[in-house]
Amino acid sequence: MKKTTRRVPIKDFGSATDVLSPLEPGDIELIHGEDKPPKFREMKPETKEKYDFSLDGISALNLPIPKTKEEEEAIVNGFLRGIEKLFQKENNWTFLMPTTLSNEYCMQCNTCNEACPIYTESGRMDIYKPNYRPEVLRRIIKRYFSKSGKLLRKWAGADLDLNWRVVYRLAELVYRCSLCRRCASVCPIGVDNALISRELRKVFSQEMGIAPENVHKSGTVQHMKTGSTTGMTSASFKDNIEFIEDMIEEKIGRRITIPVDKKDADILLLHNAGEYMAWPENPAAFAILFEAAGLSWTLSSEQMGYEGVNYGVWYDDVQFARIAFAQIQAAKNLGVKKIVIGECGHATKGFITIADRVLVGDAAIPREACLPLLEQIVLSGKIKFDPMKNNFPVTLHDPCNMVRLMGIISPQRNILKHIMPEGQFREMPDAGTNNYCCGGGSGFAIMNSQNFPDWRNNVACRMKARQVLEAFKDVLDPSIPKYYCAPCSNCKGAARDSMMEHFGFRKKYNIIYGGLVELMVNAMVDIPKPFISWEEEF
Amino acid sequence: MSSVGWFIGGPLMYFAAAFFVFMTAATFIKYAKLPRHLRWDLYPVPHQGPEGSKYQKVDFAGIKPHFSLFHELKEMSQEMLFIKKAYIHNPKVWLGSFPLHAGIYLGALWLVLLTVSALCELGGIAVSGGASSLVVRFLHFGVIITGAGGFAAGLFGSLVLLVLRIADEDMRLFSDPVSFVNLALMIFLFGSSLSAWIFADSSFSLIRHHVAGLLSFSMPTVGSGLIVLQLTSYCAFLLYLPFSRMMHFVGKYFFYHHILWDDEMMKRNSAMENDIATYLHYKMTWSAPHIRKDGTWVDQVADSASKEGEKK
Repeated sequence: MKKTTRRVPIKDFGSATDVLSPLEPGDIELIHGEDKPPKFREMKPETKEKYDFSLDGISALNLPIPKTKEEEEAIVNGFLRGIEKLFQKENNWTFLMPTTLSNEYCMQCNTCNEACPIYTESGRMDIYKPNYRPEVLRRIIKRYFSKSGKLLRKWAGADLDLNWRVVYRLAELVYRCSLCRRCASVCPIGVDNALISRELRKVFSQEMGIAPENVHKSGTVQHMKTGSTTGMTSASFKDNIEFIEDMIEEKIGRRITIPVDKKDADILLLHNAGEYMAWPENPAAFAILFEAAGLSWTLSSEQMGYEGVNYGVWYDDVQFARIAFAQIQAAKNLGVKKIVIGECGHATKGFITIADRVLVGDAAIPREACLPLLEQIVLSGKIKFDPMKNNFPVTLHDPCNMVRLMGIISPQRNILKHIMPEGQFREMPDAGTNNYCCGGGSGFAIMNSQNFPDWRNNVACRMKARQVLEAFKDVLDPSIPKYYCAPCSNCKGAARDSMMEHFGFRKKYNIIYGGLVELMVNAMVDIPKPFISWEEEF
Repeated sequence: MSSVGWFIGGPLMYFAAAFFVFMTAATFIKYAKLPRHLRWDLYPVPHQGPEGSKYQKVDFAGIKPHFSLFHELKEMSQEMLFIKKAYIHNPKVWLGSFPLHAGIYLGALWLVLLTVSALCELGGIAVSGGASSLVVRFLHFGVIITGAGGFAAGLFGSLVLLVLRIADEDMRLFSDPVSFVNLALMIFLFGSSLSAWIFADSSFSLIRHHVAGLLSFSMPTVGSGLIVLQLTSYCAFLLYLPFSRMMHFVGKYFFYHHILWDDEMMKRNSAMENDIATYLHYKMTWSAPHIRKDGTWVDQVADSASKEGEKK
């Protein structure tokens, strides 16, 4: 095991160094086919003077460096106000118990450390340990909110004095955790360090107005303003549907009319709207399958009815609740019996489990993941599949939100059993609830500030890339086409940016990526030509 | 010495035990009274058994959730008794943590058996290895085995953890002074108990006699300095524990049963729904620009999409 020699004691977290713990590319373990240490974009001096890069040389938040003492004080005071509110039931009933317990009972055993792909793939940087940021929080709480800490100071563990650097570094640090909760799954006590990251994100957003631009301003705010985080309006959504109908006709030789705004349908299908823009094959495949299975279903063109994402899950309870309620309203307006969420992990978890205890009364419309429904379609025999049409190696990614956080494990595997020839499907190491994040979780896939994409591709996505290569290790020869199946939009976004563009898996190994429904349609007997093509970009 | 011993073994011990019970109950109640929170379950959830998550089924809302007490108890016992997760994911720490916890469990069992044997003594039944009753003989040797075994295991585990905290750079980085205080206390607790057993009370008859005195409120004096030390460690432990993170045995219950394995769905007209409806009327004071001032949770959500649109 590689050990870091660059220690960062927690008491030094606010030290006046330019960069507290710079990433050392040489410490990062290379993956197969990588012949030199990863590169991180060097920022221009004027950018570094303006924005805070003082945690690790990376900026996810574009935080402007304070210029006056007053600005510095405002940062510290805002943060302290937010921490106080985090432990008040009026302000945080939503997660008060989990936050309180995780704050109080970490035994500092470090069991969580090796479970974290970001820590291990960074060259084991202290600051990326899952228990590092909660420990920073604990010491701040002890120092500023506990009598023992005020009295005994470092002897009570209250050895970290707050300054603007501590606040900004912590704000950046909570965006170096993808909230995959793998750390929580190994903790003997049950402490959830990922939750602490999320709760701190909440303090920064709900109290200080600090959040990644792609997640907040052009994320949840844009979502509520236009109807989609992509900026897609209702009118352009309808255009996209027409385009997808054309595409289906071209691919399968017959036209399908995709139901939009059909009243009283059984199912409202809610996709991550990114699919319409980046991977239209995915909603097309859903339409083909649902039509062939004879389901009563519809899409909604109402604002808040065609975008399934809810970025609030990652950082802000208020934005989360606003979006969830608005999506429910759209479903109610159509009179559907239930909502089925397409291949999008955070949307599935957010809408089904987290929103479960917000949607009271008649807002509680049943909501389900698409995977069991797809399994039912396969097992019903309504559609004939020829497994030999998928006669190429496939590996399956388990999106954290659907698998570790919802326990949806078998439907996707049962589907693959029925639509692939034996021997072509291979599990990744640590498949199932022990899976690793794609590297794009919790907003990383859409965050593009400054040099953050370099960090995401080189650090956060590295473990998944390593796993994919391991799964395909006996068929890496580029003459063999391979398919990385990721039934989640954010995971596909990470695959596109990291595996394909950054690590070059398409070119080097002929690996493409896509969802599960594309594989299903590809195996349909009724479809004359392959739905999946290694010649076209996905 | 005798008056100090009397005070520690008598009044202080009563107080410490009562204080510990009170504080444990208070801690439990404090967490139990916290508001219901949003779902944050983590899978696999053992009581779902081999069937797994209901989310794997179509129309799951109408399906009665599966509950396997056997699988839940199996997972709980593996975790509680053997510290399974540490064994799998952190064997180095498990080498100390398992014997430490085994020491605590055996020590608790020792206390129960010791109390029973003290009650026997009060009832006029002599507890010794030569007793004619098999049950009494079992009790006698049970006290010795659980006590000596527990103290030795606990001491060994505490020392291993102390060495790790000092020698292992990763652990040292996170270890605050409180971690060392906690371990020092455990070493004192198990070390003093083991010393008293080895050097002063090999059959635990003195401590049994003392417990009998406490049970009969006869306020006995303690003759042995080592037993005074042993009792001092118990008082210190009981008085300190409620203020430390070693209370995680209470926290762990809530972690598992109220967070990680809490898969209870919202039902119409349920107590949960009523509670949540109340929480939604809490007035929040978050002050970021996108939060509506002085609004309740309901106010924040009402007509949010259009209002968010108007703002820009």
